[in-house]
Amino acid sequence: MKEIRIHGRGGQGSVTAAELLAVAAFEDGQFSQAFPAFGVERRGAPVQAFTRISDAPIRLRSQVYEPDYVIVQDPTLLEVVDVARGTKDTGVIIINSDFDPEEFDLKTNAKVMTVNATKVALDIIGRPIVNTVLLGAFAGATGEIQPDSIVRAVKERFPGKIGDKNSEALLEAYNQIRGDAL
Amino acid sequence: MSIRLGGVCEPGSTRVNKTGGWRTFRPVYDYDKCIKCKLCELLCPDMSVLEWENGYFQFDYDFCKGCGICANECPKNAISMVLEEK
Repeated sequence: MKEIRIHGRGGQGSVTAAELLAVAAFEDGQFSQAFPAFGVERRGAPVQAFTRISDAPIRLRSQVYEPDYVIVQDPTLLEVVDVARGTKDTGVIIINSDFDPEEFDLKTNAKVMTVNATKVALDIIGRPIVNTVLLGAFAGATGEIQPDSIVRAVKERFPGKIGDKNSEALLEAYNQIRGDAL
Repeated sequence: MSIRLGGVCEPGSTRVNKTGGWRTFRPVYDYDKCIKCKLCELLCPDMSVLEWENGYFQFDYDFCKGCGICANECPKNAISMVLEEK
């Protein structure tokens, strides 16, 4: 079983990202679940969302405390939240930032990777909404899931032009991070 | 800040929570174009436009969320929204 924790701010689409990832995993023929955990429920407050993916049915219902993978939608969250908490040594932390991974001093043995998702989102979608873009980066960085499955999940959730643009953006992020991951 | 019995908070506690980190775009003045019309100060929803003694304005980046209302409303286009590096 693989556990994923997504850090974001209220309104950035962390919950949607977790759900899309679960749907995509399901499309891949795996078992999956997704749910959020809020602190204060308002825009801008730090939000966590969780996804579990497994070959077998998942009976665990707790929050994710020891994630295999962490996705950080907003680097300013690093000052507020310990995003590396509980990460495994074999884990990967994907941060949306225009800086290199070396710039981040996280107390973890997990591999830190960055992708400039905001730029990709602005260039292709035209709005700084990065949740789907980071899912593409997640697929590229970890190989846990097929990018086509995420595209299918995104298009199902957002029919029409929005889905098309989000798909294009997430494939771009997938290709960008793929080289670093291999 | 500690929360007292009954959960009553001190007023003005939002000052502690610096919301500037939410920005994607940062507003920047071009003072050559500014005519001191005060529209930006009036319309800022976060009171993040501060008046200087000389009548010009500056942004309080601790609390500006980068909504872009000031840049949108500025009659002289003296405010540009610059992508934040983070």
